[in-house]
Amino acid sequence: MIADNPWIDAIARTLLVVLLVIGVALILIWLERKVAGRIQMRLGPMVVGPYGLLQSVADAIKLLTKEDLRPAVADRWVFELAPFVAFVPSLLTLISLPFTAHLFVRNLELGLFYIVAVSGLSIVGLLMAGWGSANKYALLGAVRAAAQLISYEIPLVLAIVAVAMVAGTLNLVQIVEGQGRVPYIAWQPLGFCIFIIATLAELYRNPFDIPTAESEIVGGPFIEYSGIRWSMFFFAEYINVFMLSVLGSLVFLGGWNWPLGNEVGWPLQIVLIFAKTSAMLLMFMWFRVSLPRLRIDQLMSFCWQVLLPFSFLGIIINGLVLVYDWPDVLLGVFSGVAALIAGWAVYRGSRRAAPGQPWSLVSARGID
Amino acid sequence: MTIERELDTIDVNFNVGPQHPATHGVFRMVLTVDGELVVDLEPVIGYLHRGAEKLSENCDYRQAIGFQDRTEYLAQFNAELCYVIAVEKLMGLEVPERAEYIRVILTELNRIASHLMFMGAFSADLGVFGTLFMYAFRERERMQDLFEEISGDRMMYSYFRVGGLAWDVPQDFVERTRWVVKQARQGIADIDGLLTRNEVTMARTRGIGVMPADQAIDWGFSGPMLRATGVRHDLRRAEPYSIYDRLEFDIPVGTQGDVYDRYTVRLEEMRQSARIVEQCLDQMPKDGPVVAPGLKRVLRPPAGEVYMRTENPRGEYGIYLVSKGTDKPYRLKIRSPSFCHLAALRDMVVGHYVADAVIILGSVDIVLCEVDR
Amino acid sequence: MLGLFKALGTTFSAILRKPVTVEYPAVHKELPHRTRGFPVLLWDFDVEEPFCTGCQVCARYCPTECMSVTMKDNPLHAEGKSKRRKIVDQFYIDYARCMRCNICVEVCNFDAIVLNNSWSGHEVSRYDRRDLVYDLEDLLAESKEGSLTNPFREPLGMAHSGWSPKQRGEKAEAEQPSGE
Repeated sequence: MIADNPWIDAIARTLLVVLLVIGVALILIWLERKVAGRIQMRLGPMVVGPYGLLQSVADAIKLLTKEDLRPAVADRWVFELAPFVAFVPSLLTLISLPFTAHLFVRNLELGLFYIVAVSGLSIVGLLMAGWGSANKYALLGAVRAAAQLISYEIPLVLAIVAVAMVAGTLNLVQIVEGQGRVPYIAWQPLGFCIFIIATLAELYRNPFDIPTAESEIVGGPFIEYSGIRWSMFFFAEYINVFMLSVLGSLVFLGGWNWPLGNEVGWPLQIVLIFAKTSAMLLMFMWFRVSLPRLRIDQLMSFCWQVLLPFSFLGIIINGLVLVYDWPDVLLGVFSGVAALIAGWAVYRGSRRAAPGQPWSLVSARGID
Repeated sequence: MTIERELDTIDVNFNVGPQHPATHGVFRMVLTVDGELVVDLEPVIGYLHRGAEKLSENCDYRQAIGFQDRTEYLAQFNAELCYVIAVEKLMGLEVPERAEYIRVILTELNRIASHLMFMGAFSADLGVFGTLFMYAFRERERMQDLFEEISGDRMMYSYFRVGGLAWDVPQDFVERTRWVVKQARQGIADIDGLLTRNEVTMARTRGIGVMPADQAIDWGFSGPMLRATGVRHDLRRAEPYSIYDRLEFDIPVGTQGDVYDRYTVRLEEMRQSARIVEQCLDQMPKDGPVVAPGLKRVLRPPAGEVYMRTENPRGEYGIYLVSKGTDKPYRLKIRSPSFCHLAALRDMVVGHYVADAVIILGSVDIVLCEVDR
Repeated sequence: MLGLFKALGTTFSAILRKPVTVEYPAVHKELPHRTRGFPVLLWDFDVEEPFCTGCQVCARYCPTECMSVTMKDNPLHAEGKSKRRKIVDQFYIDYARCMRCNICVEVCNFDAIVLNNSWSGHEVSRYDRRDLVYDLEDLLAESKEGSLTNPFREPLGMAHSGWSPKQRGEKAEAEQPSGE
């Protein structure tokens, strides 16, 4: 759309999207601090610029001008290339992410598959960071991060595959087109819950905060990085947040299509998708500030013993309904029932671990 | 032909060093870990030793009150109370009613403030990003503002004196304190809602760092750590000092002695302290002297020794005072509860994961200056 | 599950409350009357000299030994303008050592030293530690320019004393050697 030559068109669009998303990441960093502050009954950044709006710019300038440290015993090329290996796949996923029916860089037929596959590459970057730092804390953090991220890829992919089964395609624009009447969250509530939990784990945010557990292994795999190298990891995290939120609103919440449909012009569609993405982002930020952190073995057992069976169950339900050509409503009904069963199972499991009221009040007269 | 060999692994020495967000001060733990499992732990203390006991020997009895504040910097009124009651015991002084009531009110408010600090640091260890820390500190700030209005300082009060208080409280003390206690109850309810029934909290803290009751008594535990194991022992009831024998309050006692019990015991203690404060505000005499009459400017207690112990938020805080009849104490020894609790850290942590080591240390609620003096 | 929802509900309800931040350098909160800032000396406007006579009682009672005081014969006494025979010559306080415990105020026989309960008694930041040693001129500056309007002095004779000196003016009835 920008130029006739497809190469120049692709490069121009990519540059545009990349710059846009980096700007969005800067705003997200500011927003995260403000939202966290508001929930904690305080104001957040207020000094730099009106309401602290220029805080991200100030942070970026500070990080750019910091000294670029490298431990002498670090494995040089592994250490220096790790930020790039973690950062570039996040940007690559943006290539096939559509914002409206006509605003995208390239709409791939295998868009969904491409996004999930490429975003898994950044795990290698984390491992490289942990190993290359020659630091026990970093290694511990990197190993935990790798285990967590690889494990939670599977429920994430299965939840998305369930939606792809219902939509019948992996093409993101067509998935959104298919949600004109009803968004897929109504057909796949179980898938949506699994998507939310798996996304939180993929982005290593609370309650799955282990890789960068601030109070134990301060910084995890990023502990030896400073300045612009560290900021690349930081940006990668926020671009991932943005990308997965957009993906969630495209795949589950109806994208630009529901409820207004395709006839309205692209400005209103942009506003709609912006609103849905913001809702998901704010929900992620709210979870981050409220919930404590799970331990690594509890995290892993939650993934493999709870999320994985239920995501398989979701696919089986979809398969049965689609093969036997039952009405679509049954998709939503079965999936909702499965979600309730999952919630109840987690509830019972946690009840058994922590029965009743543990302490007693002893009246204070006449004790030894 | 296959060769089977056990994978040769070594245990890694892992230093949770003096500068670390989780160690609540300059404390060092050298963990020996096998993967994620802690096999051995060696605590290293002494980074905050400032010679408080020796310095107190060069100060007279009024100057030494400042050192008590700085030794136990989260429950200052409790430490000051122990010290002044020790000297009063040595001198055989009778403290006026109003001063006793005000002392107990301030001491119990300080207990709430200290436990609020515990809640904040504990939740930061658990991984709540800072929310509960802010809620707890909001209430703590209110109390510190109240203490500033009374004594002049937000943390190092130096307000108790041998024989009573330094000066009388302001006119609006009773209404202000009632308001602060009311707000503190709201803060406690916030903390309760955020952590107590939370499944993640229970999964992280149930069954972690268990210390059975008999071993706890052998190690010299006291305070909430001991009560969490099920032993019903509270110095305010066992050896009542000041006016505690006139007050009605309950004592929360746990069952298992794990981290969750310690947390809930401290949470409930905050509510009981609020109850004590409200009773004292009702019973307090409206006016009267706040210092014992006829005291000299320079105190010279008669020769002798005394050991006074009080119920600090951390446990049994003891002052052993030897006087030779001069104006300076001959020996002022501080028995700190955190020191005895830290000695048992190895037994509590070995067998758990690295993440649990941090939480167990947080649940002990140490104040480094008390450990190192 | 329910516990998690309750936690989320608690944090959500906190959004509806007002933030409690006081944006410090722009807004200074109101300090209570009894706030203990750093010590300053008082200036006697009747006679145009400090109240302090250099008797060194405060320096002796200071737990951290942060004060250094010397006295001299008062020239104004020789001229007959002042009742004080001796007056302070040099007075150094090392603010880096002072722990603001209020003992110097309690023991001073002449009501000459007081802890500065305004913001200038708290905002004492310097780049060099040696700039924190205040001499007599610095210590008298606050009082001389009239900005110490309401210092906090607990009634004399409160703590540890059956003894208090006679004061001029309206303070003569206020001091009683009771515990009030």
